[in-house]
Amino acid sequence: MPSRYNSHIKRIILGLVVFAALGFAAKLVLTPKSFGKYGPYRGDAIDEEAALEIRHKTNASCLSCHPYEAKIHLAGLHKTISCEFCHGPYADHVKDGKVYGKLPVKKKEEIKVLCLRCHNKAIQARPGEVIKTVVMPEHLETQKVKVSHTCDQCHHVHAPLKYINRAKQIVGIKEKN
Amino acid sequence: MGEPDMKLDKERRAFIKKVLNGAIAGSLLLVIPMPAGGGDPGVPEQIPGIRGKKWDMFHQRFAFIVDITRCIGCGSCCVADRREFNVPDGYYRTWVERYLKDFDDQVYVDSPNGGFDGYQAPRTDINVEVRDTFFVPKLCNMCKEPPCVQVCPVGATFKTPDGFVLVDRKRCVGCAYCIQACPYSARFLDPVTRTAEKCTWCYHRVRKGLLPVCVNVCPTGARKFGDLNDKNSEVYKLLHEHEVLTVLKKDMGTYPALYYKGLRREVV
Repeated sequence: MPSRYNSHIKRIILGLVVFAALGFAAKLVLTPKSFGKYGPYRGDAIDEEAALEIRHKTNASCLSCHPYEAKIHLAGLHKTISCEFCHGPYADHVKDGKVYGKLPVKKKEEIKVLCLRCHNKAIQARPGEVIKTVVMPEHLETQKVKVSHTCDQCHHVHAPLKYINRAKQIVGIKEKN
Repeated sequence: MGEPDMKLDKERRAFIKKVLNGAIAGSLLLVIPMPAGGGDPGVPEQIPGIRGKKWDMFHQRFAFIVDITRCIGCGSCCVADRREFNVPDGYYRTWVERYLKDFDDQVYVDSPNGGFDGYQAPRTDINVEVRDTFFVPKLCNMCKEPPCVQVCPVGATFKTPDGFVLVDRKRCVGCAYCIQACPYSARFLDPVTRTAEKCTWCYHRVRKGLLPVCVNVCPTGARKFGDLNDKNSEVYKLLHEHEVLTVLKKDMGTYPALYYKGLRREVV
């Protein structure tokens, strides 16, 4: 039997419809555009991450403008070392193909610290087949040089055995096995 | 009589508009950098087969292998990583741990400043006979079942179809649930932006055919990264040879895409 008093039902239904419409509109407005493109996240965030600035390039990009250093660096044992590790990132030096800032060149004691990051034998964790290590200042004493010497006085930083091999050639020392 | 004047006026207005538009467009061209779709031609491609074609979001497989037997703990990776992303001091996207074992099977782990300054001296705070020491570089494991994604309440961290776990900095509310959820402690809350940050395996570099920056600077090749779809890549060969490769915290069921070669059982 239809009730005479059904306006309350109409009101409830109208209220629900309005609530659903508002909810739907809010969802449309508040959901980011690319949400759900690949899954429950903003798909554009992937492109944003991919568009971050590349601050480090490769050794090839450094050496393409520094042919003198390239010749030495690529011939020596240090050829696997990244230019940017010692000198700083490419982006601090070149911007839009133009030189933009000067990168530091390490000097004296700084060089020693840098060398010993890898070549310190006191850290026993360094496998001998991977890297040659020395104990300081014992190495300086056995090589009969002053203890105040820094590494780069004998070893070219880009090609560590460059001067040493040359000196051996001149003096005619044969490698003892 | 007024008509020709009006026409002239309109033409002048249109002309000025065109000039102004041209000037604005021209200056915009100068400001907006060229889209690096194919990458910088001056930089050789390090991961073959990425440049010069559209990125296939659904058929990529990348793997990262860390060779413990070659790591010398120089901290190049940490330095490069900090510079690439301008990570604030005291926070680490990647870090190097030093493990030390004595003859009683006691394990001592330290990581001063995350290995950023390198390891200049042996440990002096413990006085035991050293049986074995080694370095373990750590970074995001890029789990196939990432717990950090599961707990994010706003969908700000997610696993992309190409297999990278990334953070949407615009959506992140900084609740730090993901930081607690990560079993590898690879995440931190950026003190500047107050959003979660993590290692992305240098997603921006990989998309342009470059290796992640830590792999690029590693002097001994202890860090290896490559495409598993490319049968000539080093990681493909390592994963298909009789090498003992392990993952961290296997029992967590996270299925990391980061493998360790020569890892000792003490490492967690």
